[in-house]
Amino acid sequence: MGKKDLVMNNPLRMLGLEKKVQESGAGMGLVMARAGLGKTAILVQIALDSMLWGDKVLHVSIGEGIDKTKAWYDDILALMTAEKKSESMQATITELMQKRMIMTFKESNFSQVKLEERLDDLVQQNIYKPVCLIIDGYDFQAGTHAALQEFKDFMVRRGLKMIWFSAVTHRDDERKSAAGIPAPCHEVDDLFDMVMFIAPKDNAIDLKILKCVSCAVNAGTSLTLDPSTMLIQKA
Amino acid sequence: MSVDLSNVRNIGISAHIDSGKTTLTERILFYTDRIHAIHDVRGKDGVGAKMDSMELERERGITIQSAATFCNWKGKDINIIDTPGHVDFTIEVERALRVLDGAVLVLCSVGGVQSQSITVNRQMTRYKVPRIAFINKCDRTGANPERVTAQLREKLGLNAHMVQLPIGLENDLVGVVDLITMKALYFDGDNGEVVREAEIPAALQERAKEKREELLEAVSMFSDELMEVMLEEGEIAPALIQAAVRKGTLALEFTPVFVGSAYKNKGVQPMLDGVNAYLPCPTDVENVALDLNHEEKEFAVSNDPDDPLIMLAFKLEDGRYGQLTYVRTYQGKVGKGDTVFNSRTGKKVKIGRLCRMHSDEMEDIDFCGSGDIVALFGVDCASGDTFSSGDISCSMSSMHIPEPVISLAITPVDNKAQINMSKALNRFTKEDPTFKTFVDHETNETIISGMGELHLEVYVERMKREYNAEVQVGAPQVAYREAITARAEFNYTHKKQTGGSGQFGRVAGYMEPLEEGEYEFVDAIVGGSIPREFISSCDKGFQKSLVKGALCGSAVTGVRCVINDGAYHAVDSSDVAFQLAAIGAFKEGYMKAKPVIMEPIMKVSVEGPTEFQGSIMGSINQRRGIIIGTMEEGNYTVVEADVPLSEMFGYSTILRSLTQGKAEFTMEFSAFRQVPKTVNDELIKKYQSEKKNG
Repeated sequence: MGKKDLVMNNPLRMLGLEKKVQESGAGMGLVMARAGLGKTAILVQIALDSMLWGDKVLHVSIGEGIDKTKAWYDDILALMTAEKKSESMQATITELMQKRMIMTFKESNFSQVKLEERLDDLVQQNIYKPVCLIIDGYDFQAGTHAALQEFKDFMVRRGLKMIWFSAVTHRDDERKSAAGIPAPCHEVDDLFDMVMFIAPKDNAIDLKILKCVSCAVNAGTSLTLDPSTMLIQKA
Repeated sequence: MSVDLSNVRNIGISAHIDSGKTTLTERILFYTDRIHAIHDVRGKDGVGAKMDSMELERERGITIQSAATFCNWKGKDINIIDTPGHVDFTIEVERALRVLDGAVLVLCSVGGVQSQSITVNRQMTRYKVPRIAFINKCDRTGANPERVTAQLREKLGLNAHMVQLPIGLENDLVGVVDLITMKALYFDGDNGEVVREAEIPAALQERAKEKREELLEAVSMFSDELMEVMLEEGEIAPALIQAAVRKGTLALEFTPVFVGSAYKNKGVQPMLDGVNAYLPCPTDVENVALDLNHEEKEFAVSNDPDDPLIMLAFKLEDGRYGQLTYVRTYQGKVGKGDTVFNSRTGKKVKIGRLCRMHSDEMEDIDFCGSGDIVALFGVDCASGDTFSSGDISCSMSSMHIPEPVISLAITPVDNKAQINMSKALNRFTKEDPTFKTFVDHETNETIISGMGELHLEVYVERMKREYNAEVQVGAPQVAYREAITARAEFNYTHKKQTGGSGQFGRVAGYMEPLEEGEYEFVDAIVGGSIPREFISSCDKGFQKSLVKGALCGSAVTGVRCVINDGAYHAVDSSDVAFQLAAIGAFKEGYMKAKPVIMEPIMKVSVEGPTEFQGSIMGSINQRRGIIIGTMEEGNYTVVEADVPLSEMFGYSTILRSLTQGKAEFTMEFSAFRQVPKTVNDELIKKYQSEKKNG
């Protein structure tokens, strides 16, 4: 088992979205689900996919510590490589980890301006230049259309390929956009190129594409995940 | 000795370096009448703090060894272990926490939650130790206990709430307000020994009410009764609040925060009341032992003094009284003259003397019972051994012991120093499992290895001071390892015919990487191609080969050697011949097995003002570090990274100059990882040239 197996076991590849993510450039993605259904696990797998392409990822975690975020990567990589441990796999993982940096903020302390400041620090001093950003824990209830537009502009300014967000949905909030994107993102869905939704289905977890702008995969395409690992369920 | 276990507290005092925990312990001993005069930590008065009994500790103002002491406060017997604050002495902290029931986490009111507080807190969580916090040094400029309490919540994730408010801060600190009884406490007398209760100063009344409300809200979830009284807006009895605080603390869901200044004799006695009221007695916590007769099945110890004895040796010390073994009794009792069994060796041990330790002094006792921490005299055992009464075969769960990561070559200056050095090393290695020593047969140097530069430096100093062993010290060396990455065959014949009896032995088989463990030998010989009596010779030969790898001369680990064929000679084969054949076989297979060099990687945490984040990260990048992440904490940023130990020498000086002295760092061993090719080649080249030049 090598890099290739890691690549092939990624939900983005299995959904046929890799070309969209890698080639269209400057897009925003969104993973939505109710609390506790595995948004971070999916974001980590998306980040791993980018890293496997050779891209540097900055994982911004709002309201969580470094250890907890790092543990997600460690756990998912351990599960993905559980069956075939080898020296070369260890080397691959070490190489991958050089393409990941975690930045954590308290909820009260996070803003796009602050993030840009921190990122400038890294880029200008030639310490780290990410091309993919993962923003986990952003408060969409408080975030306005203008604030999210700022992220989009910032992405273009900084030459980023993708920013992925996670958003928590609530069972009792039934509001939806015309494109079927649930609250709290129903009024900002025009800013996202790709939206995925996680929901329980029978004894598994369903990862469904709700929206994908100019992409070969239709909305509604889905993938089944193993609820205990959040990895692609084996047939 | 109290028989009632509810009157026993086994507590530790842990904190970041220089938070004043030794000063606090000194005051505790004074107020509990164990000592009759107070001395400074740094020994300015020429005496030094009681708990820093080592000359070196008094000079440097840090605690190196944990010292055990005993005192009685308001009818409760308190066993206290004072633990070191520096990360290099982590094993001392870990050992203490393993045997303690509760702890006092001491924090500096200016420095707040610092990097080592995070490590200590993590260790406390690992061993499920309930804790109370004491925010010390409230007399210092910049003291802000409320900020520190907020940090306890944010940085350590503790549900921490103040149970006291300071009356005045910095130079104006005069006492504390007890938010449970709503009384002001002042500390009168030359050394603050008289606690005077008074009304809360008018200026503080409103603030005290607010903070009390906050406290009640936080603890009411641990007591339905308290919540009911609060809803009915009735008078709340202090005992009701205390019971709720205790319940939350024991469940590790609440941390009461005390404030004061040990140095200025303020707030220590109420904190001791807190130890009595909120920290667990031995029966409040569950300790687990492994039943050796039933496949190490876990069972909870009973704490019952009438049950068979279970006692754990958690620390050895070879002091002026001879070998001392610190033990914690988990159930049963043991008396002077009793015979107990060491579960690891199966040997009977007679208890000659039992003592209660009071730092470096002791008090003879006749017996000790469940829950006690005492010292045994003249018992030969290793740290971590379990003693039992023979009718039960069990072991307490093992303690986590990290591998040494740094080494130093030491050379005694003369013959006398050589003898004394051996004595010192013998003692230190028995006392401290993270400190190791061996002789490099090629250079004839004695190598000591441990957990960090300071760790080794302290031992070298102790050799000089306590054993009069003057040694020359080499530059610190990283403890590299070698490991193979592929399977390789070997088939080697050792043959020597130079007159007299010859030597003959052939060893064939293969070696392969071993995922877990250091070394494994597998005998797959069939048909007697190597006679039985020479199988162990092959094993010995392989083990000798592991001491020094061919790449850079470091120890080889993670190898499985399998022998499946060989040959012998009826006259010329011998133990030595097969050992040499195995050494030859190892050499033959080793380079084919694609060996690599591994280096220790340290988990480094640097904390400094956010404006220096870029400089800090840059300095880590330059050191081949992998930055794991950054964490913003107000105006401070914590940068966490994995950095090779070899790149960390002298880092404190660099960091100071980069950040105007405003940042600090801690590091602890994380893992061994393969070195990059350039470093690999450099190390090989260096080793080859050293070999060539003798």
